[in-house]
Amino acid sequence: MNPTAAARGSAPRLPDVRPSALVRIARLDLTLLWRNRTALFTVAGLPLMFGALLLPARGKRMDGLDAALMQGTGHLAFFLIFAVFMNLVNVFTARREDLTLKRLRGTSLSDAEILCGSVLTSVALYLAQATALLVLLMTALGGGPPANLPLMLAGMLGGAVVFALLGFVFAGITPNSDMAQLTVLPVMFGCMAGAGVMFPLAALPGWAQQAAHWLPLSPVVEIVRTGYLGRDFHAAATHETVGSAGAWAVTAPSFAVLAVWTALGVYAARRWFRWEPRRG
Amino acid sequence: MSNEPVIRVVDLRQRYGDFEAVAGISFEVRRGELFALLGTNGAGKTTTLETLEGFRPAHSGAVRVLDRDPHRERRAVRERVGIMLQECGFFGELTVAETVDHWRGFTPRARSRDEVLDLVDLRDKAGVRTRQLSGGQKRRLDLALALLGRPEVMFLDEPTTGMDPEARHATWRTVRDLVADGTTVLLTTHYLEEAEQLADRLAMMHRGRIELSGTLAEVLAGHGDRVSFRVPDRLQVADLPAPRGRSAEVTVEGGAPVATYTTTGDDLQRVLYELLSWAEENAVRLDGLQARSASLEDVFLRTAEGATR
Repeated sequence: MNPTAAARGSAPRLPDVRPSALVRIARLDLTLLWRNRTALFTVAGLPLMFGALLLPARGKRMDGLDAALMQGTGHLAFFLIFAVFMNLVNVFTARREDLTLKRLRGTSLSDAEILCGSVLTSVALYLAQATALLVLLMTALGGGPPANLPLMLAGMLGGAVVFALLGFVFAGITPNSDMAQLTVLPVMFGCMAGAGVMFPLAALPGWAQQAAHWLPLSPVVEIVRTGYLGRDFHAAATHETVGSAGAWAVTAPSFAVLAVWTALGVYAARRWFRWEPRRG
Repeated sequence: MSNEPVIRVVDLRQRYGDFEAVAGISFEVRRGELFALLGTNGAGKTTTLETLEGFRPAHSGAVRVLDRDPHRERRAVRERVGIMLQECGFFGELTVAETVDHWRGFTPRARSRDEVLDLVDLRDKAGVRTRQLSGGQKRRLDLALALLGRPEVMFLDEPTTGMDPEARHATWRTVRDLVADGTTVLLTTHYLEEAEQLADRLAMMHRGRIELSGTLAEVLAGHGDRVSFRVPDRLQVADLPAPRGRSAEVTVEGGAPVATYTTTGDDLQRVLYELLSWAEENAVRLDGLQARSASLEDVFLRTAEGATR
C-alpha cells in the first residue's frame, strides 16, 4: 500500500448519486420544512405575498408593455431567491452548526446525494410556485399561453443551478442560522432592484444597465420574459417580437452569463462551502 | 474469531494548521475484538476515529478499515460500519420514531424500528421529539442509529457520556452482546472503568502519540502495586518509615493525608511486612490500610504526567 497516495483524498470523483437516496433526502427536507414555520414562511409565504402584489399592477403600463405581466415574468425568475437560494442557505447553515449535516455524512449517503437531495427539494418547490404563478399570469392577468415554454424552462433550470451554487457559497460564509437571515439580503435586494424584476433596466443610467446585465438573476429574467412574451428583452428599448428560433438566438448572451455564474459558483462553492463548524 | 485485522493504522499523522493532533500512531484491531482508545482531552482520539470513519483523509500514513480506504471508498466502507460520533445533532422537530425511520431509509439492510429501539431501551420514547430527550437518552438514540445497519465494525466515540450509571451499565451490556456476536468495536472513553469492563485491548494516547498499549494485564504490568493508609494524626510526614528503601507519597483525600507506597517487581509482601512490623513496634494504628495492584487510573495519570515532564 502506498500511504501518501492513498491518503490524499481529492482525486476527481465520479458523480455518486442514487435517485432513491435523493427522494429520501427530499422527504426528510419536506418534513422538516413543514415543522419549521420560519423557514416555511420564507419558502412559501414570501412568494405568495409577491404574487398578490401583482394584482394592483393590472392594466398599468411598464416599459411599453402590461406592467403585471412584466413584473409577473420577473417573479417567475425572482422566486428562485426564496425557494432555492434562501432556503438552501438556511438548510445548510443550520444543519452544519447543529451537526445534523455531520450525522447525515455518517451514513452511507454520498456528499453529492446530501447536496443534490436538498437541491432537488428546493427546485421542486420553486417549480411548483412558478407553475402556480404562470397559471395566474395566463388566466387572471390575461397573459395567455407562453410563446416558448421550453425556453422558459431552460432559463428557470439554469437559474436554479446558479442559485443553488450561490446557496452553498453563502451557507459557507454564514456563521450561524441567525445570521442567515442577514447574509442573504444583499443578494435578494440586489436582484430585486437590479435584475429588472420590479422596474425595467431602461430606467437606470447607462453604466448601471450594463452592470445589471451581469447580476446572476438578470439573465434568468431576460430568458423567462422572452420565453413568455416572445419579445427581445436583452437588447434594450423596443422589445421586438421574435419567433421561436429567434427567441433562442436573442437569449444566447443571457445563457452565456448564466454559464459564467455557474463556473464562478462551482469555484466559490468548492472554496467556501463547509461541512462542519469552525473549530475553536 | 479469526485473527485478521479489521482496522489497521500505520504511522498516521493529522495536522490542523501547525498543530499536529495525531503524531504518528500505529495499531491494529482484529475481527471480533473491542479495542479502547484512552487519553486526555486533546490527545487525538477523536481525530483518529474521524479519520478511520472516513470524514477526512490522513495527512500521512495509512488507515484501512475492512481492507479499504475509508475516505476514498467511503460508500463501500460505510455500508458495513456503524458510527457514533462524540458530538452530533438530531433534528429536534422529529420524534425518536421518525428519526429512526428516516435513518432506516439511508441505511441498507436496516433493522426494524422496534428491534433497534428495544436494543437501546428507548421504545417507550418513540413518540417524543428528539429535542425533548435527556443527554443520556440522546446518546442511546445515537447508539441506535449506529446499530441500524447490523455493522461489522463500530466506532463509538465516548458512547456513555451523559448517561446515569444504570443506562451506562445497560449500554455496556448491549456493547458486550454485539462483541459476542462478532462485531469489532473501536471505542474511546473518559471512563477508565468502561475500558476495564469492556476492552480486550487498549491504547493510551497522549499529545497525539500512543504511550502504552496492550491487554489490560499488559498495560498494568510494570506499574507495580500500591500500599496506602491514612497518616495518623500524631505522626509527622518525616516520621513515616521507608520499607525496602521506598518513601511515601502523601496526598490529601477526603481532608486527611494519605500515604502511598508504590512497589515494583514482587516487593509487595516485603514492603507490607516491614510496614506492619514498624507499626507494631511503634504502636501505630494504620487506618484505611490497603494493598492493591495498579489500576488503569494510576497508569493513566502517570502516563499523562510522565509524558509532559
